Amino acid sequence: MTKTNLFSKIKNFIHSDAFIFLLPAIILIIVFYLIPIVVSVYMSFTPLKNWNIARYIHEFVGFENYWRFLYMVTHDPTVRPIFITTVVFILITLAINVLGGLGLAIATFFMGEREASSTQLLWLLPRMTPIAVYSMIWYYFFHGSEIGTLNSILMSLGIIHNPIDWGQSIIPWGPWMIIIFVNGLVGVSYGMIVFTSAISNIPKELVIAARVDGASNWSITKNILIPLLKWHIVYVTTWQMLSLLTTYDHIFLLVEWGLVNRYYGTTWALYIYNMAFTAAEKDLGLAAATGVILVIVGAILGLLALKILGFEKMVKEPRGDI
Amino acid sequence: MVVVRLVNVTKVFRTGVVGVKDINLTVNHKEFMALLGPSGSGKSTTLYLIAGIYRPSSGKIFFDDRDVTNVPPKDRNIGLVFQNWALYPHMRVYDNIAFPLRIKRLPENEIRKKVLETARMLRIEKLLNRYPWQLSGGQQQRVAIARALVKEPDVLLLDEPLSNLDAQLRISVRAELKRLQKKLGITTIYVTHDQAEALAMADRIAVINNGRIIQIGAPEQVYTKPATVFVGGFLGNPPMNFVEGEIIEDKGKLYIVIAGQKIISPTHYEPIVRRRGLRKVIVGFRPEDTMILPECRDRNECVKGMVYAVEPMGREYIVVADLGGELVKAIVPRTLVLTDDQEICLCPSLAKIVLFDPKTEKSLESLAAEKD
Repeated sequence: MTKTNLFSKIKNFIHSDAFIFLLPAIILIIVFYLIPIVVSVYMSFTPLKNWNIARYIHEFVGFENYWRFLYMVTHDPTVRPIFITTVVFILITLAINVLGGLGLAIATFFMGEREASSTQLLWLLPRMTPIAVYSMIWYYFFHGSEIGTLNSILMSLGIIHNPIDWGQSIIPWGPWMIIIFVNGLVGVSYGMIVFTSAISNIPKELVIAARVDGASNWSITKNILIPLLKWHIVYVTTWQMLSLLTTYDHIFLLVEWGLVNRYYGTTWALYIYNMAFTAAEKDLGLAAATGVILVIVGAILGLLALKILGFEKMVKEPRGDI
Repeated sequence: MVVVRLVNVTKVFRTGVVGVKDINLTVNHKEFMALLGPSGSGKSTTLYLIAGIYRPSSGKIFFDDRDVTNVPPKDRNIGLVFQNWALYPHMRVYDNIAFPLRIKRLPENEIRKKVLETARMLRIEKLLNRYPWQLSGGQQQRVAIARALVKEPDVLLLDEPLSNLDAQLRISVRAELKRLQKKLGITTIYVTHDQAEALAMADRIAVINNGRIIQIGAPEQVYTKPATVFVGGFLGNPPMNFVEGEIIEDKGKLYIVIAGQKIISPTHYEPIVRRRGLRKVIVGFRPEDTMILPECRDRNECVKGMVYAVEPMGREYIVVADLGGELVKAIVPRTLVLTDDQEICLCPSLAKIVLFDPKTEKSLESLAAEKD
């Protein structure tokens, strides 16, 4: 009875306008999201190596890849730095992204219109520049020899006498500083845009009223703008945290070009990529298991962030007159 | 004692739009001054200039003898209430009212005393723990006024504070606000586009249009002796009637011809009409100063017209009459029975007729005053 009911419901849905409207999105989600997840989870239970699908696809090893992952984390001295790097990278870059975006949005709010838009454009440049070009700029800036911009500046100022290999010799803060700097600069613009549009939606009378009462810029920021941006801050923090957890494109190039240390410049996401695509022996089963854990960690962190920051309250709180 | 004085104040915005031009206005101590005008007339710009939110492009603003032209808003000691009330949505009513005092870093117990005192005065002391979204429009408006009053301002500036309220509430708050202003004796400047509000509350009204002050005067004066056609047409509901008239002289007496019919010219206008040699005038008369008779007989202040429509308004009827192709209105008692297309006689009260110069649209009185 219930089965035919469900069946007829699905049938009805397929014949409805809503289905046609949703079809493109459904196809995209299935092809690029559901199938890869199912494939990854499946792969994580096989000993798949070097893309030799025909040989390994029917072998089933249970949770062995997960145990191997756990063993590696606890015993392999080259893996530990990767996880420490991931944590440090996410925490500091996230702080830079959110606070920087917030600071820029508020600063441009108090600026004249022309100064504001040129400042914002300037900070959008890193996002608009192609990844390879952008990474190249900082590759040469932090380069370890005297051709590196930073080295040549410091040398010509007489602060240092020999070039410093920032990303390879000062472990771990050298490579950390570089990957945080490069990613932080890209991420700031996202928060800036979200916060700027949120601020522009705050009625200008609120700010004028506070001004008339004698509130300084700082007091307006602290007492009015930031409390009213609370939910946007929650959103940007959560979103940026998850995207930092999975980002690897800039870091991949910086590691590949030898600018930063391979262990203290690699994050979890890049580690998976290397394991699956660039390592001499491509351990795909292990990479898949590591990836699945990353997804789970991401989901937990995301939910946790929303919980801690009170996303629930935002949804439940009645808005407008009752 | 605070007298607000604007001297030749002009504001041109960066876009080139002229906000106000050559405003001269004095608001006396304890006076309730209404700035009345249609939207875009420059009345809010004038208020923001007084508040210091805008800087004048030229001219000076004084609070008493103190030149505040370049003084920032916070140092002018003003209370400002906005049309949308601008309550901080994330603060409770208490904190909203306390905000200006906290900015001044007053001790918390003194803040508490003042907030409670002000809240009691506006009868919102039971709402102090609520958030703005938990209040009705009328309550939010009281909170906004409390926040403006709590710092004991020298000047209270109100920017259309009643226009977000529903019609019933607006009328009841009107009387309350007027009483509160008299009790506190704060110099108050009130911006509104609602002529009834201005007439009901203000000690004096400044009528603004196209960035200029057209007339300043007591409500009674602005209403009965409008300086221009615009003022007459803007005040009153229904507004003043205007018809074109031609001046003729017959046996030494002046007459005005309206829609081909002759009425006697009001005697007090005779000297100025003669002096200026006017041939044409605009005749203005208010609907409530117009009598309607079934027929004219020989009355020399009346003209014949036709009933175009009758609008029963409850207390009285508004008769819309066709006067030689122009529609004019008259307020008549409910006892008068009229049918559409019936011929009637319209008799504007001669003493209350206002004549305007058709070229400048100014009343003949104000033209005469200009010359002197």
